[in-house]
Amino acid sequence: MKSKILLENIYLDFPIYESESFSFRNKITSMSKSAFSRMSSEDKGSKVVHGLKDINFTFNHGDKIALLGPNGSGKTTLLKLLSGIYSPTSGKIVREGDISCMIDIGFGFQSDATGYENIIYAGISRGLRKKDIEKIMPEIVDFSGLGEFLDMPLRTYSSGMQARLAFSTAIASAPGILLMDEFFSTGDLEFSKKSKDKVLEMMDASSILIFASHDLELLKTLCNKAICLKHGQISYYGNTEEAIDHYKEFYEK
Amino acid sequence: MNFLKKNIALIDVVFSIKNYYSWLYLSYFDLKLKYRRTFLGPWWVVIGMAISATAMCFLWSTIFNLDWKEYLTYLYSGFIIWMWISQLVVDAPEVFYGEAQKYIKAYPNPPLFYVLRKCSLNLLLFLHHVPLILVVAYAVNKKIELNVLYSLPIGMFVVFVNSILFTAIVGMFSARYRDIEPLVKSLMPPMLLLTPVLWKPEMLGSYINYIYLNPFTYFVGIIRNDLIGLDFDINIWIGALAITIFQLIIFFILYSKKRNRIIFWI
Repeated sequence: MKSKILLENIYLDFPIYESESFSFRNKITSMSKSAFSRMSSEDKGSKVVHGLKDINFTFNHGDKIALLGPNGSGKTTLLKLLSGIYSPTSGKIVREGDISCMIDIGFGFQSDATGYENIIYAGISRGLRKKDIEKIMPEIVDFSGLGEFLDMPLRTYSSGMQARLAFSTAIASAPGILLMDEFFSTGDLEFSKKSKDKVLEMMDASSILIFASHDLELLKTLCNKAICLKHGQISYYGNTEEAIDHYKEFYEK
Repeated sequence: MNFLKKNIALIDVVFSIKNYYSWLYLSYFDLKLKYRRTFLGPWWVVIGMAISATAMCFLWSTIFNLDWKEYLTYLYSGFIIWMWISQLVVDAPEVFYGEAQKYIKAYPNPPLFYVLRKCSLNLLLFLHHVPLILVVAYAVNKKIELNVLYSLPIGMFVVFVNSILFTAIVGMFSARYRDIEPLVKSLMPPMLLLTPVLWKPEMLGSYINYIYLNPFTYFVGIIRNDLIGLDFDINIWIGALAITIFQLIIFFILYSKKRNRIIFWI
């Protein structure tokens, strides 16, 4: 099946709840107040942050898209929207094809479980069966390079080792539409080189890749299209090289 | 029909049923982790329960002036069912903003998935207490009715379905309004005394009909009555069914309207 993603007039607003608006007492007092005053509850209710504004695009089979933008510009939010973690406040979204979501790769880990158990655990959280995980287990074990540490509980791992395990587990997911947030910066030199190669392989196998990163050189070699985000809006969409130039301009001003 | 296909509550229900393997396995895994590094593992719960229920049996059978043999099975079964029900009620408020919040924010499984994971964990806990009731019932009465074979699974299924609906509804309210959790936690201990767990309905004399005002009566009764050979009470089944339908309606309305907001509340 051909993969496809279509977004039309997407808006995503985040309501931010203050601690007061979470409680019943406040709700009741504000209800009794509003009976006497004309101030609407919205005026003093939750604040709204506009996460994404007016996003339109269509990605087809074979597209490799770079997501660029400063911190807080909405890259991860857009990835989460595409994966289905968030639903848009308004607008239309169409997804065709299997999505593998590599936004938070430590997803589903338990600190009391051993490395082996966590591999199974994370796989099952992603909808795999135990027998499927056991098939790819040797590859994951080999790739992580953690050896006998895999028999120990996760809480005894250093953060670098945890990242290794998380990464090795995440790469086992099936190709398809691949949503990826930048994460392979942790780990020692040997591992980040190894993981980079593996990521490149995975990206090649994916039908659509959407990749958020600040590694401009990597994006240039990988992606044939790019989206530049600024304050939750698309400020540039098109060719990767030009998008990178556009992105650099943010900082030159 | 098109409306049904687009209803988010139905979509999530279908997804969760299709993915039964995942949440069932995860809850089994949660159970395993719970007992990690203990020597007796799941037997601790059984032992703990046996100790407190036995102690209570001698105390209360004296206070109520009852035959302790008959009272023992009544108390054991009631107490064990109550453990399940009160645990699921206490767990319900935290289902979304507790541990599951980091999963909900990291991966596109529907929130209902984590409700099922929590509820099946509590069901599994209950399951390894059931043999204890049967052993006690057999040791004291020297017989067990055969209709337990079908009435027990049906009763458990009804409670399980209700636990899912209840957890989803309360979980959503308490994700939005954090007052629900302390409220629920302070309500459960007195509910134990108000529900016919430790005492028998007939002890109320002319006030006996008041027990039907308490929704917990139905769910304790639906599992217990056949299990220990009490008389069949049609009111309990009608009540349980009515509560199930009521919860189903609330669940579908609330979940289809607010499902997509849950992530912003946690």
